[in-house]
Amino acid sequence: MKKKNLFLTCLLLGTVACCAQSGKIDFTEYNLDNGMHVILHQDNTTPIVAVSIMYHVGSKNENPERTGFAHFFEHLMFEGSPNIKRGEYFKIAQNAGAVNNANTSWDRTFYFEILPSNQLELGLWLESERLFHLRIDSTGVETQRGVVKEERKQSYDNRPYGSLIEQTFSHAYKVHPYRWTPIGSAQYIDKATLQEFIDFHDTYYVPNNATLSISGDIDIKQAKEWIKKYYNDIPKGKKQIIRPTIVEPKQEKEVRDVVYDNIQLPAVVEAYHMPAQGTADYYAISMLTTLLADGESSRLTKSIVDKQQKAMYVGAFPIALEDPGLFLMFGIVNSGVTPEELEKAIDDEIEKIKTDEITEKEFQKLKNKTENDLVTKYSTQSGIAESLANFYMYYGNANLINTSIEKYMKVTIEDMKTVAKKYLTKENRVVLYYLPKSEKKGGN
Amino acid sequence: MKKIFALTFILSIGLSGFAQLDRSIKPQPGPAPIVKIGSYETFVLSNGLKVFIVENHKIPKVTYNLMLDYDPILEKTTAGYTDIAGQLLRTGTSTRTKDQIDEDIDFIGATLNTSSTGIHASALTKHNERLLAIMSDIIMNAQFKQEELDKIVKQTLSGLETEKNEPASISRRVGAVLMYGKDYPYGESATEESIRNITLDICTQFYKTYFKPNIAYLAIVGDITVAEAKPLIEKYFGAWQKGDVPTSKFVTPVAPTASTAAIVDRPNAVQSVISLCYPQQLIPGCDDAIKAKVMNTVLGGGTFRLFTNLREKHSFTYGAYSQLNSDELIGNFQASANVRNSVTDSAFTEILYEMNRLRTEKVTDEELSMIKNYMTGTFSLSLESPQTVANFALNIEKYKLPKDYYVNYLKNLAAVTSDDVFTMANKYLKPNNAYIFAVGKSADIAEKLSKFSADGKIKYYDIYGNPVTTENKIKPVPVGVTAESVIKKYVVAIGGEKKLVKVKDVTIKMTTTMQGMTLNFDSYRKAPNKIKTDVSMNGMVMQSQVYDGVKAYMTSMKGTEEIKDKDLESIKIQAVSNIELSYAKNNIHTKLVGIETVNGKEAYNIELTMPSGAKSTDYYDVETGLRIRSIEEQGTTDFADYKDVNGIKFPFSIAQEMGPQSFKLQVISVEINKKLADTLFQIKK
Repeated sequence: MKKKNLFLTCLLLGTVACCAQSGKIDFTEYNLDNGMHVILHQDNTTPIVAVSIMYHVGSKNENPERTGFAHFFEHLMFEGSPNIKRGEYFKIAQNAGAVNNANTSWDRTFYFEILPSNQLELGLWLESERLFHLRIDSTGVETQRGVVKEERKQSYDNRPYGSLIEQTFSHAYKVHPYRWTPIGSAQYIDKATLQEFIDFHDTYYVPNNATLSISGDIDIKQAKEWIKKYYNDIPKGKKQIIRPTIVEPKQEKEVRDVVYDNIQLPAVVEAYHMPAQGTADYYAISMLTTLLADGESSRLTKSIVDKQQKAMYVGAFPIALEDPGLFLMFGIVNSGVTPEELEKAIDDEIEKIKTDEITEKEFQKLKNKTENDLVTKYSTQSGIAESLANFYMYYGNANLINTSIEKYMKVTIEDMKTVAKKYLTKENRVVLYYLPKSEKKGGN
Repeated sequence: MKKIFALTFILSIGLSGFAQLDRSIKPQPGPAPIVKIGSYETFVLSNGLKVFIVENHKIPKVTYNLMLDYDPILEKTTAGYTDIAGQLLRTGTSTRTKDQIDEDIDFIGATLNTSSTGIHASALTKHNERLLAIMSDIIMNAQFKQEELDKIVKQTLSGLETEKNEPASISRRVGAVLMYGKDYPYGESATEESIRNITLDICTQFYKTYFKPNIAYLAIVGDITVAEAKPLIEKYFGAWQKGDVPTSKFVTPVAPTASTAAIVDRPNAVQSVISLCYPQQLIPGCDDAIKAKVMNTVLGGGTFRLFTNLREKHSFTYGAYSQLNSDELIGNFQASANVRNSVTDSAFTEILYEMNRLRTEKVTDEELSMIKNYMTGTFSLSLESPQTVANFALNIEKYKLPKDYYVNYLKNLAAVTSDDVFTMANKYLKPNNAYIFAVGKSADIAEKLSKFSADGKIKYYDIYGNPVTTENKIKPVPVGVTAESVIKKYVVAIGGEKKLVKVKDVTIKMTTTMQGMTLNFDSYRKAPNKIKTDVSMNGMVMQSQVYDGVKAYMTSMKGTEEIKDKDLESIKIQAVSNIELSYAKNNIHTKLVGIETVNGKEAYNIELTMPSGAKSTDYYDVETGLRIRSIEEQGTTDFADYKDVNGIKFPFSIAQEMGPQSFKLQVISVEINKKLADTLFQIKK
């Protein structure tokens, strides 16, 4: 429950989701008896600490008849516990001078507090309370139902192109649970009974499904003692955690559709199925993203926005997920340009990658940009805590925070051309045109 | 034996687990860490460029923020030109084309953004000098080209196009117009027309006039020492020529004398973007600054009162916040949220409630201490970014603050009292001098918002903040609808003929406020055709108008006068009970003109022609059938808030506009069949 942003925003704002910096990030990690994984990074330069828990549950774990559950929990988790009255969670955190928030993706849900470092124990207690015995009752559920509906309107329905991710994913997946997105459907949240919410917590909000990641001005020994105090006696989950094994069959034919929205200028979406995060092809696709759309001299921006002036904006975003995700390109036409023209311009640039040369100089630029992104990424304690948890939870290797740069640097020009040829094909994509509602003829 | 041992072991674990932790005890903080504000060094080049350096070697990166400090510029018919000139800055110099600039910046993995007020750039330490070379080339040798201007104009026009459907952008733009007016630089915004008016010449002129080192600050943050920076800055910015920069003065906008409701209509909206706003004087770093910030934080500067009320208590919204923004010239106050259409008015009611609560009740020590703890925490957390220290340095210089302003910040924050908050609330919160502004679906929200306007009227604006009269667009009526059917629907809507004819007399008591005085209106009506209206103040009748069925008189301080001729004719018609049931009998001609929008509602327009030839117009809500407006020669009357009295509906809110004057009557009571005596309608001479 909070002012949280959906994970999506981060995805769209950031470009290359990557890693490592010049100085090595040291950390300690271990498991508690109840299966909870703990990662600690000490940095005493500023007297603050980031306390976070990542739960390995996202919208893909949901029942198709109950979409929106994972994200709804993100709201419920601020409702308190037997020891924290309703509405107190915020107050206690604020009283400690802390800021807190949460976000939900297709694969995981992330909660954090950033506190003055003398409040570490409080942060640990707060997180342990809602993991151990969250308050779930009809009052809280009712309130948050209303709030989530307004969130949906504000972030999706009342915002131009706001349905983009939802539309793209629902067109790209036929059987995999990525066919719906974390915001889900209000209708299902309305239908769900209180017991269903309680069961969801008992299943996924358990120590053996959580990673506690702490970064900042801490004393490792003291931190460990407090972690033992507040987390050791939280029992392991007894219910079976459902991890979808369903594999989306290979798309054989281009999917194409039109979405009518409250917009002025048409937009074009091209979404290509791409491999899961962490695979070798994934790193090549990340570099490809930089080539295409990172910076004023990048291929799409230079050619389509600056030279041809067909678009007011073009971007490329690899939505890399635990299971195969989507490589998404999105452009808004300049006034007077048709979506067909913009689509052709994007396709021409993709074709050039496959057939024409990528020079060593351009390739060096991609490496320099990637290095710069990596260095910047770990400049905050909350960024470090989240990345450590991500690397552990997805890859079982938190040290990727130091080493994944090598995986980017290993990518060759040939690799980039290969993945372009392999994934950026018509058969493998969804193309959506966003058109103003006024252009809709006939029908409803 | 073994068994017992195991049992004891389990028992002891259980017990120790139990004894170990009482979860209801909230952990107490350790000793407060010392909050150290990083230091900065400063020096000035001979051309006047003021440089600040904050060393921070945590990551191998250097960030530059070059900021020009000039008076705001009124751009009028070329609104948007300084922004465009800012963008033009990175499109070419005397030696680099745009392609070269783009390539040079991207190749070193740097970022460099230009704007009308300066340049922001960063790069890894190892590329530092290459970045400085590009920056210095841009700042000193920019060369604007028509083809690049054309591109930016095209992009900007497309951007304006998309903004037409972004409620948040519309709210920002029109909110600024409301608060500051279009004759003040902060109230201006670009339009298609003003963008097309922009020439290369005015952009170049702006760059040549305002981009001078003597009005510039350069903040350098990151992995660089003062000793390294000094010679580099001298090398790259020493040759930048100083010059005289013009100054300007404007009449400072003030908050409105009474609250005004305003709407930008978005017929497809599923949410209203609401804002209660007004301009507010608050100079950065002034004596009130910290206290006023505490006051605003209690209200809505975080997840506090507004958030708790509108979101956690009422589920109106995903979030509700307020801002009290300081500014050297004129700041502002804004309380805002995105709420569903049906609760748009309730959301404003709650915002006003929370503003008034702060003005009438002192905040408890407990709440105040929480707010101060929170603000202390966020201040400390902000220090994680070395950029914060650079901003502190810039503020101290720009606003002429004491050098230890930020060092003493936490001490001054801790000293704020509940009395201070109370004083600040009464000084800076103006619930009765605000714009009650919504971007949303007018048809759903307009009627209910009118009550927030001192005059009961809604002002409509287009997305550029130009006033619009949505009420002139006459649409044709559906087949089958006639003047008779509309009037019949109205009669049914207010209770039906059967009930209306049983009404023998009606007494309506109303009240209004005019220039700070409360006036009471008591109106009496008796079948078939007697009427009387008394206007009183403090129980004293100031004015009385009566018609006994034959003659009409007006009594005031000036004495009693008989009403004759045209005015008498008008009163005769007004006096007829249930005139709607007998237009034809009274020789009143009715004509259905069409459908118009009135206060955001579609309404049938019925034109009435009196036997005298005088004309008037009534508007009936298409949906509810109720009469919502009457326009006569003397002025316009709006009816709203219909309530049931003995099975008949009466409007409880009546807003009248007569020429420049407007006022709103609130109905206090309606009584039916009190057996009013005929003597009440006798003329007292």
